Amino acid sequence: MELLRPESSAEAVALLGNGARALAGGTDLVPLLRDGLVTADALVELGRAVPAGIDGTRIGAGTTLAELEASTEIPDALREACRLAASPQLRAMGTIGGNLLQATRCWYWRLAVPCYLHGGDRCHARDGQHREHAIFGNERCASAHPSDPAAALLALGATVRTDRRELPVADLYRLPTDDARDVTALEPGELLLELDVPRPDASAYLKAMDRQRWSFALVGVAAARVGGETRLALAGVAPVPWLLADPAELDRATPLPGTAYKVEIARALVRRALARTA
Amino acid sequence: MARLIRTEKEVEGRYEEVWTVVEEDALEQWPAGPLDVVGRPAARQDGLQRARGEARFTADVRLPGMLHAAVLRSPHAGATVRSLDLAPALALPGVHAAISFEDADFLEREPGYPGASVAAVCADTPEQAQAAVEAIQVDWDVHAPLLDPDEAVARGQLISEGQDYVRGDVERALAQADAVVEAEYRTQSVLHSSMETHQAVCAWEGETLVVHISTQYIWGVRDEIAEKLGLDRDNVRVICEYMGGGFGSKNGAGEYTLAAAELARRTGRPVRCALSRREESLDSGNRNATIQRLRGGARSDGTIIALSGEYVNAVGWDGWVAGTNGPMQMLYSVENVATSLRGAKLNSGPMKAFRAPGFVEGTFGLECLLDELAAKLGVDPLELRKRNHADLDVLDGRPFSSKSLMECYRRAEPHWERRHEVRARSDETWKHGVGLASQIWYGGGGPPSYAWVRVGSDARATVVTAMQDIGTGSRTAMAQIAAEELGLPLDRVKVELGDSARGPFASISAGSSTIPSMGPAVRSAAGDARRQIVELAAQRWQKEERTLSLKGGQIVCSDGGSWPLESLLGLLEDAQILGTGARGPNPTGMRVLTFGVQVAEVAVDIETGEVRVDKIVAIHDVGRIVNPLGAKSQVEGGIVQAIGHTLSEHRLLDPTTGLVLTQTLDAYKLPTIADVPEIVCEFIDEPDSHLTNLGSKGLGEPPIIPTAAAIANAIRDATGANIRSLPIDRAEMLRALAEAAAQRKEKVGAPST
Amino acid sequence: MPELRVNGHAYAFESPVGRSLADVLRDDLGLTGTKVACGEGHCGACTVQLDGTPVLSCITLVHTVGEREVTTIEGLRDHPLVEAFVRADALQCGFCTPGQIVSAAALVAETPEPTREQIRHGMAGNLCRCGAYSNIEEAIATWRD
Repeated sequence: MELLRPESSAEAVALLGNGARALAGGTDLVPLLRDGLVTADALVELGRAVPAGIDGTRIGAGTTLAELEASTEIPDALREACRLAASPQLRAMGTIGGNLLQATRCWYWRLAVPCYLHGGDRCHARDGQHREHAIFGNERCASAHPSDPAAALLALGATVRTDRRELPVADLYRLPTDDARDVTALEPGELLLELDVPRPDASAYLKAMDRQRWSFALVGVAAARVGGETRLALAGVAPVPWLLADPAELDRATPLPGTAYKVEIARALVRRALARTA
Repeated sequence: MARLIRTEKEVEGRYEEVWTVVEEDALEQWPAGPLDVVGRPAARQDGLQRARGEARFTADVRLPGMLHAAVLRSPHAGATVRSLDLAPALALPGVHAAISFEDADFLEREPGYPGASVAAVCADTPEQAQAAVEAIQVDWDVHAPLLDPDEAVARGQLISEGQDYVRGDVERALAQADAVVEAEYRTQSVLHSSMETHQAVCAWEGETLVVHISTQYIWGVRDEIAEKLGLDRDNVRVICEYMGGGFGSKNGAGEYTLAAAELARRTGRPVRCALSRREESLDSGNRNATIQRLRGGARSDGTIIALSGEYVNAVGWDGWVAGTNGPMQMLYSVENVATSLRGAKLNSGPMKAFRAPGFVEGTFGLECLLDELAAKLGVDPLELRKRNHADLDVLDGRPFSSKSLMECYRRAEPHWERRHEVRARSDETWKHGVGLASQIWYGGGGPPSYAWVRVGSDARATVVTAMQDIGTGSRTAMAQIAAEELGLPLDRVKVELGDSARGPFASISAGSSTIPSMGPAVRSAAGDARRQIVELAAQRWQKEERTLSLKGGQIVCSDGGSWPLESLLGLLEDAQILGTGARGPNPTGMRVLTFGVQVAEVAVDIETGEVRVDKIVAIHDVGRIVNPLGAKSQVEGGIVQAIGHTLSEHRLLDPTTGLVLTQTLDAYKLPTIADVPEIVCEFIDEPDSHLTNLGSKGLGEPPIIPTAAAIANAIRDATGANIRSLPIDRAEMLRALAEAAAQRKEKVGAPST
Repeated sequence: MPELRVNGHAYAFESPVGRSLADVLRDDLGLTGTKVACGEGHCGACTVQLDGTPVLSCITLVHTVGEREVTTIEGLRDHPLVEAFVRADALQCGFCTPGQIVSAAALVAETPEPTREQIRHGMAGNLCRCGAYSNIEEAIATWRD
């Protein structure tokens, strides 16, 4: 394996593809490479190629979660989502761009069980152990999207800029299908560069987890209010970050036997997040 | 004088009759309370080495020419190897040797759980060894795994013969009871998760096999390796200077050590075999899950008249049936008790002792049942426990060597009284409550164990014994005991341990036995050295021996004279005072047990099922406390592990294949620093006057035992919800709350229907 | 040959891309104070600092370290935290302790008087199976005493 260290985003994009993978903080990619869940002939280190730092509403994709956690400029929901994500060391290493594109924590997928997401014919979690899994969008794959910041950004109505386009965070994700067993909509070799995060009038992120810290969300609820309108988005409840049209959508959740409790938690956290941002 | 006796030996609650040699000394127990060194807080002697990263763990052993082994493990829960070809592995670069079940009987042709060892390879680097393992060609015949413990019991798939126990007539008593509670409790399987994984480095030096291993029992490893590899026991030297946690999982040699030894023999090079974190989660043991179907009956005055329990331990492919039934049989003075205990043989990883095996699980069920009974009777839970206190051992009427459980209860009162104030903090969402639970466990230790003490002309002492310090602070406690006996300041006593070739036999560091087994041997050896020093001093200064004692580094005479120890020993130049000592016998006709009570304060978010443990008060009776600082750490550590067991840890298996899903430390959730409550720790600290020259019992296990039940009982106090299974995750908490709400509704609705 | 700056010294190293910083520190440089307990970034035992920031050396590829200064426990042996940990009995088996101290040193460098809440937040990535947490909190809260 080779390590490439491009000086610009254009140079990085030119290097990507053909077995070359983008490497940012490495907190997800390095273990995935070791486990053989991702393969690469070359790693393109993004350190100098992708913007980092906060400038008004714009956040470089290379900004670490630790920097965001410490920032007073960004909306509360995003800061809190970063603060409650991962562990201190992982936040110090991991970038916001990498966080948005991280792979699922579904244990079947991580242990290389030939599940739907790996191209197999069924979701092993549905009939197996799925206490951490989805309550929405889980018909084919019941994995739960692990990113706290993604839910916050979704509620905040953020957009992302790549080397070739701008798109709402909502469009960065899609449920896996028979034809595309992936939950992100980026094209091969497409590089995430920057986020634009509008300032809401109020926002909040609430997270239920198995420990007080250093756990992926069982349910994360982000709320962002602009004027009289509040947008809600959830982490840990679907294979992708889940935009909740309104609280009543929780009545139409499709939990598995072992995830019904998540609906109840989501109800409570949605209620609290709405109260917090009212 | 050495005596041969026939005695009961207890390890982890398992008793056997054995012949034992015991040697008794004439030492009187020290008076109760803090002495010059013993009973006073001491920072651990090897603290700096550990904190500075200088301590050499097995993981840090690097020998010249060392090869790295990797193990081919069964990916299946149950399978038979139809054929296996090592040739592709041997052909890879860097590979030196490979073995399979055809070469060694510690490797399995018919693995019975995922992760069982089938073959092993050694190579120049760990990566090459791993690649070679993956190149081994295996044709598996996969069997459907048996994973349901009830089904295993029904089919008669048991680890060992079932255990049934009866005293009195439970059915008749239950029929006469004023209140009866029946409930099924479940506990989950949890992983030891030692930070240093199981590992060994084996090297041959001539005919001697030198084994560096992360272990709790260097002598057990020595004997096991000698037996399995057909070696003379003294040709196996086992070294463990520092080890990174075991908690009961590192009591034996393990296939990884045998594989390293065998591969070292074949290659003539040192071989390291270290489990990865994932292998650790598959094949280093676990606390087995249990199912407990319990009934209890009591009279309206709070006298418990009947207890019955059907216990199933989901043992796994191998292991032993820990005493989940023990607390029910032993904790309270109940006339009618019936228990059955079955150990299900399953296609899952073998159980190994994990800090108070059986009693952690059994105490959860029993102590929750008791509180449900108390609620039904309208009796105060602390009062209920006092009322049913056992003054004598209920199993056979023996007296206890010492028992201060009533004093523990008395000291718990102010903490228990806080429940009114704690409950009053509740609001619409957060409900607060207080709960308690009792603890009973073994922890008396026993013979044989030996120690030597060497005092040099610089008036410094070294304790030499081939024990191990598994992180509990044994070095420090042993140094304190020797220092006290020799009248030396603590910084003039050193402890050399961790090498079977450099010191006499010493006890396993398991079953809360280190202090009660080793402490008396060390004191005995130091006492022997002290006696010799006094004899010499008497000759040097023409005094009667009985007028001389050692204190503060001085030889003190009752006539007022005193001399620095150096002024005597300095005459010796290179000569040394050598003391030897042995652990004496346990008192005959008495039961040696440890006791305690814990009080938990919790808060429950009834909308999200979040449980927050705010405070645990732990009051334990383990005889004399040697090092109050280290003892407090033991209690805190036990409680932290208990909180993991209670709230967040769960080894999950795929229900169809038996695949372990929680192999990594993101999925398997150990407590972090943010999960730790305020912990208040109290000891009765009264020497057990019948037990050894020290009067100390073990403390490693007691603190982990009652915590889960205390928390569950506090949750009931806060919310009215009956917790029935561990861990109390969000799903279990919300289930219990919903059940309680439904019952309340039923009750409210009852009169009108 | 690439270089690694560790505890104020420069080391040349030769290694295939993909190798972790932890492995190079331990196996090539003999700095075995840094421990590897999970090898996949979940436990914090392997924590070292890169230019003062605590990172997980087991999932840091050694070739990505570049010019940054690596500080391991060997470079922090005389830090007052070491003494504070021993004093407070903030360790039992000691296997996670070097990582705890490296994390704590970064924490107190940024926040010399951390609150209990800041300690619990900032140290949550360092698992201690022996459960020495109460004393770890105490040691960090009193590190300058």
